Formats: sequence, structure tokens, C-alpha cells
Amino acid sequence: MSRERPLPYSDPEHQAAHQFLVEEAALLDAADYAAWLNLLCEDIRYVMPVRVTTARGAGFDALADMGHFDENLYALRKRVQRLATDHAWAEDPPSRTRHFVSNVRTFAGGGAGLRVESSLLLFRSRGDTRPPDLLSAGRTDILRRAENGYRLARREIIVDESVLRTQNLAVFL
Amino acid sequence: MLDLTAIVADVRRGMIPAHIYNDPEIFALERDRLFARAWIFVAHESEIPQPGDYVVRRVLADSFIVARDEHSAVRVMFNMCLHRGMQVCRAEMGNASHFRCPYHAWTYRNDGRLAGLPFHDEAYGGEDGFARRGQALLPAPAMDRYNGLIFVSLDPKAPPLRDWLGDFAFYLDLYTRQSQTQVELRGPQRWRVRANWKIGAENFAGDSYHTPHTHASVVDIGLFREPRASKRKEGALYMAGPGAGTTYKLPPGGSFGEQLRYVGYPDEMIPAMESSWSPGQRALVEDSGFMVSAATLFPNLSFVHNWPQVDENGTVAPFISIRQWQPVSERETEVLSWFAVDASAPEWFKQRSYRAYLMCFGSSGMFEQDDVENWVSITDMAAGSMARRLLLNSRMGLTSADKPIKPALAGFSGPGTAYQGFGEFNQRHWLGMWSDHLAGAADGAR
Repeated sequence: MSRERPLPYSDPEHQAAHQFLVEEAALLDAADYAAWLNLLCEDIRYVMPVRVTTARGAGFDALADMGHFDENLYALRKRVQRLATDHAWAEDPPSRTRHFVSNVRTFAGGGAGLRVESSLLLFRSRGDTRPPDLLSAGRTDILRRAENGYRLARREIIVDESVLRTQNLAVFL
Repeated sequence: MLDLTAIVADVRRGMIPAHIYNDPEIFALERDRLFARAWIFVAHESEIPQPGDYVVRRVLADSFIVARDEHSAVRVMFNMCLHRGMQVCRAEMGNASHFRCPYHAWTYRNDGRLAGLPFHDEAYGGEDGFARRGQALLPAPAMDRYNGLIFVSLDPKAPPLRDWLGDFAFYLDLYTRQSQTQVELRGPQRWRVRANWKIGAENFAGDSYHTPHTHASVVDIGLFREPRASKRKEGALYMAGPGAGTTYKLPPGGSFGEQLRYVGYPDEMIPAMESSWSPGQRALVEDSGFMVSAATLFPNLSFVHNWPQVDENGTVAPFISIRQWQPVSERETEVLSWFAVDASAPEWFKQRSYRAYLMCFGSSGMFEQDDVENWVSITDMAAGSMARRLLLNSRMGLTSADKPIKPALAGFSGPGTAYQGFGEFNQRHWLGMWSDHLAGAADGAR
């Protein structure tokens, strides 16, 4: 979490970034992954480090060299292509998901674009009777200005559990 | 009320009572008769390279600190304070010279020895009331290593690890000794799935039959060219000692180097593999023409080696994952999945191989996603009354007279027994060891 001062919530750039995240979440909940890919920059880096339980003085609580995701556009495209096949059993029947996005703070990033921090709570329900899964995470995004609005250039997902309680990450956060 | 004799008899003839995949009585027997004696993997030495480095790992409910002490010796210590039983170390990794219990501040060196306790003189009358000398966190009853893999057994009379590994060591080397510097592990990713632990162990031991269908999507998208049925059935299944695994058939006629390049190893790594593997290990690749894929070392440690395409240009990169099916209960398993790579490999290769791993296996892997969906569903179905009336047919590869439908593979250069094509030989091999432990036959063998 950044201790810098975010842009005022009345700032048009903050409002545009907030709207970007909410619209993105709507695409993910609608499983419109083709449209979601269009929000990504060609050089996207999408990472989710493994969180670990360490002593307060250890100086780290995530693994530097191991993630749940460390994806470029090729890998994300493959994931989306897979979900579109008739054989992606992990999501067929599909989960019902709800991406709750909150605590959005936007920081002026100079020419590169905007840095946006947000909280994410993903509710995922599979089948008719299984207990639902929850994934709580913070996200730090870099949004880059493009022709029609913003594109996601980088996302770091800091998940709040060290041991995930969902059967797989056949979902995007 | 469990008729263990009947269950084991059914299992031994390849007919598996479905309820064993979700049965608390079976799980209690597994805890007492299997996990109380088998060699169980806890960590790799590369996870604790420096003095003071430690990780905390479990064997079912028992928490152990796996530490490298000040003299660089590897120690595995039961993580429970000698005084009131608090968990001494509550982090899962770090570096420490001492572990101090948060309850009453009893303090242990990283080799387990009790270094101090508050008010020793006033509270205990010094050494006379409580002899501090010789007190230490309980060591794992048995600890042994192979290629840097650290195993413990809760049975102090466990045979030496190398004896237990037997002929499986030949195959273990292919995953964990590609050079004299061995592998380094990253991770693990940890996640909990509502599935029985045996299902993953059996699957990795030998289920090449599921690959063309369960993993059809990764072939559909061109991520991995090998799993289509026509290729998969050319692979050999092998059983050796306490392990078993699957392989893929390589293109015919390739030299050792060509076969390794085919699966994506760079020229820089091939001489080290050539010199650290035995003639038999090299011949498995060159003469027999097989490349190892998935494998399981009984009871709950599995391996996988695949070579997906990692970019739009069709570049192929191999990766190795080591994974443990850590039972939480009869219906829940914690998966610990490590990425493993030869420590002396070039950095660019390590990164490429790591990306290949993430796309295929682990918490987000496109293969593993579909596997777990199956395992959760089996566990769910195995809970009820009807599952107690169903024997799952696990006899693939056998005639009604218990003969293999085709002879064992001749000219397979690895030890043990191998069959080409689909079959459930390996799963029955694994379930045979499971039966030996549950029926107590493993006692007699000792």
C-alpha cells in the first residue's frame, strides 16, 4: 500500500481509473474474456506472488521468485483460448463469480500513465452445493493511456492467504 | 465396522471399493499404519541454503521445523515446546539462530537444543530440579536425504532411505540430478482442495489414459503437442521399487542430445546431463526413446516433466514440478507444488522453464485445473451409501485371468517393469503398497 497522497476522488483521472476497474470486473463476471483481453497492453505483465507467513522482522511476506501467476500476453491469451474450448472442465459448468472492487486509490504516474491500487474480493461458487470460495487480494495496476481510454500494462495481485482455499485459479483477479 | 480384509482383497484384484476415497475410518488407518511409518518428503536442501534458514512443514497433523543449523547440518525437529506444548515456530520460513516459544520464553538453538528458560534457578532450583542439559526439541524419529530431498519417517526403525527407494532412484535422478549441482526448488504454491489425497498420487503414478480427454483443451490450443491419444499410448508405464511413472515416446532415431533438444533443453545443459546420468539412464532417452513425464513415489510425492510451447513462435521449454499431496482429512488435501530446475542451468532457461511450469501445473496451471475438478468430484461422490456398493474397475491392462493383455516391454533400459500403451499397472502397484500398509503386511516385511 502506498503512503503517497492519491489523486482527489474528484479528479477526472481517478474517476476514469475507477471506472476502468469496475468495467473490467463486469467483463470478468460476464466471462467475456475476449473483451477483457482487449483491455490489456501488448507488453502486459500479470503477476501474483505466493504469500508466506514470516516473522514480523523477516522483511518479506511474499516469495520473490515464485508466483501463482507470472503471465505475458501469450500466456493470458492461451488461458482465454482454453476457456473457450469444449474441454475446459475446470470451468464447465462455469463458476458464478463476483469481483468486488473497492478502496480504489489513483496516483499520478507521470507520462507512463496511472498507478492504481485497489482491493478485490472474489466470490466464486461452483456447482449447486459446494461451499463457495473467497479470494481476497490487493492489486497494484499500471494503466497506460491508449487511443480509446486506458489499457492495463501491469497488474500485481497480492493475495491475502498463504494457502489458497479455492481448487484452482481458473479465474482472473 | 470396516471389513479391512475384504477391502484389501478387492483392492488387490484391481476392484477398488469407491468409499476408500472419502471414509474417515480408512483415513484413521492411513494415519496410523501408513503415515506413521513411510518415508515422507518434507523439504529440499536448496530451500534452506544458509545456516539458520528454516522452513516449517507437516506430516499430517505433526508440524516440523526443517532447519540448517550453525554447523550447516540439516535438522528436522517436532515444532512443539517441551514445556507446555506451544508451537515454537509459527512462521513458515525464515532465518533464525534460535526459536523462542512465545508462551514462557523457553528458547531453542536452531539444532533443537534447549538454550535457556527464564528463572531456571528460582523456578526450578537450577539443574537439580530441571536438567537443561540434553533437552532438545524432539527430533524426527528418522531423517534421511537423497539428491538433496529431505525425508522423515515417524518410525525410528525405518529402513535407510536409499534402500527404500530401491530401483525408483534411477528415475528420481532424471528429475533431480540433471547435473552434479542437483536441482533448486522454488515455492511451494500451497492450496487446499476438497479431494482425497490418494487420487492425485495414483493419477501421477500412471494415468496416461486420462491425458487425451481430461487435458484435451491444452492440445486444442496448441500449448502442448504430446498429450493427444495417438502419442500418449506410445508412451511406456514403468514400476520400480516404491515408485511408478509415465513417459512419452520420443521421435525415433534421435541421439541423446537431439532428444533433449527436442523437449527444449539448451546445448549448455546437455553435457552435464550426459555426465551425471548413468549409461542406463542415458539409454532410456537415446536407445529406448522415452522421456519421463509424471511419476509418484509412494505414498504422496509426485513429479511431472512436460515441455509446452512458451511463445507464439512454437518455442518448447521443459519444466519439472515436485508436488506433495498432504492429507488434511479424508476429504481435503493440501497441495504443495514446487518448481524445480537444475541449479547450474542458465538464468534465461530457469525463467523460461518457470513460465512453462506456471502455464501447465500448480495452482493456476492449465493441466492441473482440470485434474482437480475431477478429484473433487470423485471425493464428493465417494461419501455416500451407494459408493459402498460400487467397486471401481482399476484392471486396465489385465485379462480376466490376471495376465497382461500384452507382454512387458522388452528392451526398456530402466529397472523395474514397463508396459507400453494404456494400463492401470502403476495404480495397482501403488494401491498394492497402500494395501500392504493398511493390512499390516508392511510390519511383517520389516
